[in-house]
Amino acid sequence: MLELSAVCLRFGAKQVLHNISFSLQKGEFVGIIGPNGAGKSSLLRLIQGALSAHSGHILLKQREIGRFTTAELARTLAVVSQTSAPLFALTVEQVATMGLLPHKNWFELNSSYDTAQVALALKKTGLSHKSSDAVDTLSGGEMQRLYIARALVQQPSLLLLDEPTNHLDVQYQHQILQLVKALDIPLLACLHDLNLAAMYCDKLLLLNNGEQVAFGTPAEVLQPQLLQQVFGLPCQIALHPLINKLQVTFIPASTGLAAEQAAC
Amino acid sequence: MLKRHYSLAMSVALLMLLFSLLLSLTIGSASLTLADIVRVLFGREGVSPLAETIVWQIRLPRLVCAVLVGAGLAVSGAVLQNASRNPLADPYLFGLMAGAGLGATLVSVVLPPQLISLALGAFAGALFAVALVFAVCAGQRWRKVEITLLAGVAVSFMLSAISSFILYFAEPFAANRVIFWLMGSLSRTDWHSVMLLAPVVVVVLLLALALRRQLDALLLSDESARTLGVNTLRLRLVLLLATALLTACIVSQCGGIAFVGLMIPHIVRHFFGVTSARLLLGCAVVGALFMIWVDNLARTLLPQQEIPLGVITSLVGSVFFLLIMRRQRL
Repeated sequence: MLELSAVCLRFGAKQVLHNISFSLQKGEFVGIIGPNGAGKSSLLRLIQGALSAHSGHILLKQREIGRFTTAELARTLAVVSQTSAPLFALTVEQVATMGLLPHKNWFELNSSYDTAQVALALKKTGLSHKSSDAVDTLSGGEMQRLYIARALVQQPSLLLLDEPTNHLDVQYQHQILQLVKALDIPLLACLHDLNLAAMYCDKLLLLNNGEQVAFGTPAEVLQPQLLQQVFGLPCQIALHPLINKLQVTFIPASTGLAAEQAAC
Repeated sequence: MLKRHYSLAMSVALLMLLFSLLLSLTIGSASLTLADIVRVLFGREGVSPLAETIVWQIRLPRLVCAVLVGAGLAVSGAVLQNASRNPLADPYLFGLMAGAGLGATLVSVVLPPQLISLALGAFAGALFAVALVFAVCAGQRWRKVEITLLAGVAVSFMLSAISSFILYFAEPFAANRVIFWLMGSLSRTDWHSVMLLAPVVVVVLLLALALRRQLDALLLSDESARTLGVNTLRLRLVLLLATALLTACIVSQCGGIAFVGLMIPHIVRHFFGVTSARLLLGCAVVGALFMIWVDNLARTLLPQQEIPLGVITSLVGSVFFLLIMRRQRL
């Protein structure tokens, strides 16, 4: 589905990403993790065609990403990012309908199939009852679900999510990730919360200063030494007894446990 | 905005437009009844040649121009507000009015008389202002819409200052001519004006309707629009150029008519909806309707004298706008 090999990105003389190589198969959820400034969002912008790689190859459905037209790319991959409220009070349905844009010609009207697609997307994201509401009346979680609905209307082969759980409370964080996981679309997401990443992602890509530190299953990537090297804090990693997923606990120096943990 | 609300609003507006068109043809110093107008328009017998001339050569071209000017300014305003993501944008955004003013000033005051018409001078001046803004913003600067807006404000002030400087030293009659012209009037319009304005208004409206989905996508953010396959840079350039050309044509024919392009889109959004297709069609109808009645008022409020259109649009428009805002409907 998506394959990156030896991808480098530069902003002028500054190397932002260096030698990134990984692949995402059908049905997988890959999480990109790393500290602030690691290059997570830049990598996502590279894949969505907003930036051009300095070297290396990005293949989407076995085709070089640079060979896609903007409309073709929008039909193939959808992006859910942090988005501000619209300038004027659009309704939920109107925003979701925007997902039809890449599939429509200049004077083409919406068909009954299109209307059904929008209704289905709103149903899947639990927003059917709010379809006539103004977007500025939605909560943060509902807003994020709306952008997922719009992405679904695009009928993409790959969904990119840029910090989808930012500024959301715990309930919404899980709700959003459960929702996208159940969509049956390959997913690539930047995530700050390592425990959420461990819980929902099939594979993780760990970045630091634009370098690829590790790529693999959560068990392969979430290693105490690697995380301490990247985040600068000792940590403990354990399998949670109830959910059977790895959970990371960082130990700040002020607790006095850090030295003890480092010695272990 | 539900679909039935839109249909109702559009039906009412279209009926009002039709009624206004017919009624406006009866308004004027020569007394003509609605029956006379219908007879003239449909070529029935029993109509005086004078009535035919008044309707076909004076009132009808002026009325059609009012429709085109109102629709054109309102559609341009709506397009620019969406494309620049700025609710205060209006068709004179890029110093168009100041450029037209400078062109008119140069033609009236500096150049030899009768060398170039006032309309052509204003048209050239308006295009010069737009070209100046575009030159300043060429290249990477287009990526930031705020820079384009600021460049428009700066160019506007610069050209206005040059006009004021020239007018300060000008002969009072020539200066008055420019100042009154800038306040806007449809009194000089004829079928030639219609021939110039009609194709430009129709093409810009069709272009904007064709790009309605892209315009909607811009309402969220540039980033968001790009992920939907919109080339935001190209879209803005095309729309800004098209609306600038339309506004320059309008300014050249009837001077400056303020507030229509700013106010009508906001009123239409409330009654017709905010998505671009409804907004654009609503603006075309309501803008035309508004301009017809502004021109009727301009012709009839004072005996033997016309009030400049810009004065009425600003006065009526701002009062109406403030009343709606007070009722918190906008």
